[in-house]
Amino acid sequence: MNAYKDNGLLPEGLRDELPPQAGFEAAVTEALMRTLDANGYERIKPPLVEFEETLLTGPGAALAGQTFRLMDPVSQRMMGVRPDMTLQVARIAATRLKYIARPARLSYAGQVLRVKGTQLRPEREIGQVGAELVGAATPEADAEVVTVAAEALLGVGVRELSVDLVLPGLVPTIIAALGLESARGEALRAALDRKDAAAVAAAAGTARPLFAALMAATGPVETGLRELRALAFAAAAPAISDLERVVASVGAALPGLSLTVDACEYRGFEYHTGLAFTFFAKGVRGELGRGGRYALESGEPATGFTVYLDSLARALPTPAADRRLYVPAGTPRSQTVALRAEGWRTIGGFDAKADPDAEARRLGCSHVLRGGAATPRGGG
Amino acid sequence: MTANQPLIFALPKGRIFEQATPLLARAGIAIEPDFADPDTRKLRFRTSDPGLDVITVRSFDVATFVAFGAAHLGIAGNDVLMEFDFPEIYAPLDLGIGHCRLAVAEPAEMSATDDPRQWSHIRIATKYPNVTRRHFARRGVQAECIKLNGAMELAPRLGLCRRIVDLVSTGATLKANGLVEVERIADVTSRLAVNRAALKTRADEVQAWIARFRTAVDARAA
Repeated sequence: MNAYKDNGLLPEGLRDELPPQAGFEAAVTEALMRTLDANGYERIKPPLVEFEETLLTGPGAALAGQTFRLMDPVSQRMMGVRPDMTLQVARIAATRLKYIARPARLSYAGQVLRVKGTQLRPEREIGQVGAELVGAATPEADAEVVTVAAEALLGVGVRELSVDLVLPGLVPTIIAALGLESARGEALRAALDRKDAAAVAAAAGTARPLFAALMAATGPVETGLRELRALAFAAAAPAISDLERVVASVGAALPGLSLTVDACEYRGFEYHTGLAFTFFAKGVRGELGRGGRYALESGEPATGFTVYLDSLARALPTPAADRRLYVPAGTPRSQTVALRAEGWRTIGGFDAKADPDAEARRLGCSHVLRGGAATPRGGG
Repeated sequence: MTANQPLIFALPKGRIFEQATPLLARAGIAIEPDFADPDTRKLRFRTSDPGLDVITVRSFDVATFVAFGAAHLGIAGNDVLMEFDFPEIYAPLDLGIGHCRLAVAEPAEMSATDDPRQWSHIRIATKYPNVTRRHFARRGVQAECIKLNGAMELAPRLGLCRRIVDLVSTGATLKANGLVEVERIADVTSRLAVNRAALKTRADEVQAWIARFRTAVDARAA
């Protein structure tokens, strides 16, 4: 016999979400989407699969290696399963919604599939929720996206949220301005990414103090900004002054939010063209979400964020399955409808002779309907 | 909540540990007396600082503990960091201890006639299959790695495979086994390894430890 079939073994990185997590994930998704909607971000729903060349152009090129492909038997063309929904939003904004008023505010929620998990995130199917602000290139637009994302995350109960603001364009700008040859620039960028002080010192040569200062500009926003201002490197000045405006604007909107800066981070932000950011929560492994500024195929500026539901689920306590009410057989429907309207989940019994308390316990109900009223389950 | 829990510092057992001890002392970390007891079964120890606990694990596991955030800080050689290349680890400080190198070695008699420039496919016994594969791929050589956890030097003599990639410090072990170093892959020292999320969410505490270790390293260099 086929043991895999009997036991329901799933391919690596894929899983069945069961109660209560599956319901919780859906509730979290809806709550996030409500906040986005309330901020004027309108929902779009792209398909799961589309033509490979449409999916993987522009910003999508970086994800080619992470994309599952299949042949479309109808058109005989290659299709890709989306590895990230941002690409699809960018495509829609550049094509079908090219003519709507700018800035356009769009939001989305859905599953994505990736060829490989990582050791830290073995999941290959991930739920994404996110938003994109298309056609505005000011620090105020960056600040709006960071603020809306933080509002959504705080709204679903993330505690001790922390936003890391990164400037992925800063290091390449500095490397270009110094005229370093490409191999050394590459080595420097890799070393800065890993904050490997020894490797940075080895690759930086005479520019060592500059890059050491850049590494020191990592940490809480006050000290980080102070270090960045002290760089006094002309080519870096515009990005730093934009960062200051974003910090001021986010700080004014959400005074309690913990903000950090990182001038060296580059990995994972390859297609970003301006300020980018990552969301963390204290004590939670890995990042909750990330985003930043990039350019559409058409050159139009966009900034957006995406939240990973698997990480988010780890950051939130799963609520206990409460308000489950056992309703004995024969209860009139009008009564259960009224109870559901009050917020009860009704679990109907089929056997009129069964002991309601025992049945309630067996079915995981917290309450039993007795004499027309919901009462706590008896019998331990 | 996790907010007030101590930071966890992962120390590697073995060779590096002895060199790290004076550094820890200079950084102001005194570990509870049980730590020095060779018979202790404890794996986690309190320190003189209530905000820092120490754990001891195998050197390769330091990287894994730090990458997953199970430990917030640790001491790991860049050989280990290169092997895993975890995106969640930063190495902000070279501790200047544990100096050695990662090198390719082969039997002395073979080396006399072997020309490494002609290699297209080689078989290598190593603890570092990822570093080895990447290193040779860059040179256009396909390296088939046999993963061993120790005693690499035995492999050529017993016919497991002719070449090895391993840490070399004085070269005495290689010589005793009739091997010679033919290629250096990387110079190795121990680094202070830091979990990325910890650096972002507990920035003040973690930065303060990095600064203390930097002072300790500078004090020794002076």
